[in-house]
Amino acid sequence: MQLKGEMSMLNVLHIQDTDVSEICSKLEQKRDEAPQFFMQSPIVIDGSELSGNALEFDFSALKQGLLDLGFIPVGSRNFPPAANNLMRESGWAIMRDQQSTSSVSKSEPVQKNQVKDSPVEESKENINTAPQTNPVAVMKTQMTVDRPVRSGQQVYAENSDMTVLSPTSAGSEIMADGSIHIYGALRGRVLAGARGNESARIYCQSLQAELIAIAGRYQLLDESDTTLKGKPAMIRLDGEKLVIEAL
Amino acid sequence: MSKVIVVTSGKGGVGKTTSSAAFAAGLASKGHKTAVIDFDVGLRNLDLIMGVERRVVYDFVNVINGESTLKQALIKDKRVENLYILPASQTRDKDALNKEGVESVINELKADGFDYIVCDSPAGIEKGAFMALYFADEAIVVTNPEVSSVRDSDRILGILQSRSKVAEEGGTVKEHLLITRYSPERVEGGDMLSKEDIQEILSIPLLGVIPESGSVLQASNSGNPVIMDKESQAGQAYMDVVSRFLGEDIPLRFVESEEKKGFFKKLFG
Repeated sequence: MQLKGEMSMLNVLHIQDTDVSEICSKLEQKRDEAPQFFMQSPIVIDGSELSGNALEFDFSALKQGLLDLGFIPVGSRNFPPAANNLMRESGWAIMRDQQSTSSVSKSEPVQKNQVKDSPVEESKENINTAPQTNPVAVMKTQMTVDRPVRSGQQVYAENSDMTVLSPTSAGSEIMADGSIHIYGALRGRVLAGARGNESARIYCQSLQAELIAIAGRYQLLDESDTTLKGKPAMIRLDGEKLVIEAL
Repeated sequence: MSKVIVVTSGKGGVGKTTSSAAFAAGLASKGHKTAVIDFDVGLRNLDLIMGVERRVVYDFVNVINGESTLKQALIKDKRVENLYILPASQTRDKDALNKEGVESVINELKADGFDYIVCDSPAGIEKGAFMALYFADEAIVVTNPEVSSVRDSDRILGILQSRSKVAEEGGTVKEHLLITRYSPERVEGGDMLSKEDIQEILSIPLLGVIPESGSVLQASNSGNPVIMDKESQAGQAYMDVVSRFLGEDIPLRFVESEEKKGFFKKLFG
């Protein structure tokens, strides 16, 4: 037997007001859009957006409502501590607050596993604030990009590795929570382990990147930094230092 | 089946309008009913290059706003059969354009039996350029052999493949690279990017190379699309571009310096 702390993907229900029947009827509409997907799926409730008084919230009714709709309530988070007793009494597990998670969901990341065109200013911010939370993210899929990544475009492989078969341009940005493999010329910015995975690596056929980063440690790639410019290379993290090696 | 082709570049002053005028005139001279639309609202130039500035009564924005019919605004070219020009408004700005209006004009042109609708995009990546490329099936990306132009073309290619209607529906806009103001002598001298360098960075198929030529300026100032100047290298290069676009296999011309040609001639006699 092994007991480990791990994260899994869960549906999170963000509660905004205290009207339980309203919440349930809205959720029912959502569920009916994809009944197979939601059937018996675990669900977490999140109180960070709650505007009403949490002490007046009918947690038992919500739990019963969720069960009736075919969900399995597994826990609650981001409710005021004053409501903890109330929640325990109605059988809710209280999950540790995760400010990072809730702030991410509020700000609606601009892209999830897809190419998106966005202003360059935005991408600048992403560099220095490469999120370092959720160190143990579950690698689920693998993302393949087969079109050139153009100047000003961002591609992000969430919770996965990324393979790029085409060239990337100066002024582009590719990010992955896992490792990144680039078979075309690498000319833009490349950020592996975007959420703090320190074992992520970058592999490329022709290293001409402007900036390389792994798990938030970044480095500008001037000609003086490496003799491997334009050559196949692998980049890994050794302690706090990025190491560029020939492939 | 009508095709909408956007002539775009990102950067200004690289030859979008010159190329639009030449390309549209070339298509029409080959017997295809062609309309060329000026999307540069507020900085109207296409009418000058086409030599129809004194014949503009109604414009693109008037048609979008329902102030005139499309028929009233379209100017029929007097030199080339099958060629029509839809001028931009000079007194308005790019906000006068909207998706619905542009779409209705393009649909009306399609219904009128136009084979090709050439959209002359303004510079930049703002509303005017976005409107010009949104309905495109194919794109001609005009690039000069210098780094900033290539970078901007790269950017506009990204927008084309992520924000155009075809891209939104999951398709791909067909891309063509047109290099203008190319000077083989300066490429050999090392102070200009070569067509191979540009192609390596942009990785899209090359439609043609237009040599730097005094006849382009002369043609613009006299209001005759340079393609009509059959003597000039630029005119001939544009005609090759049109033929290639229509599916003919024609080798590139005017991409090697006279000096080099002379040298090889001497060598191989």
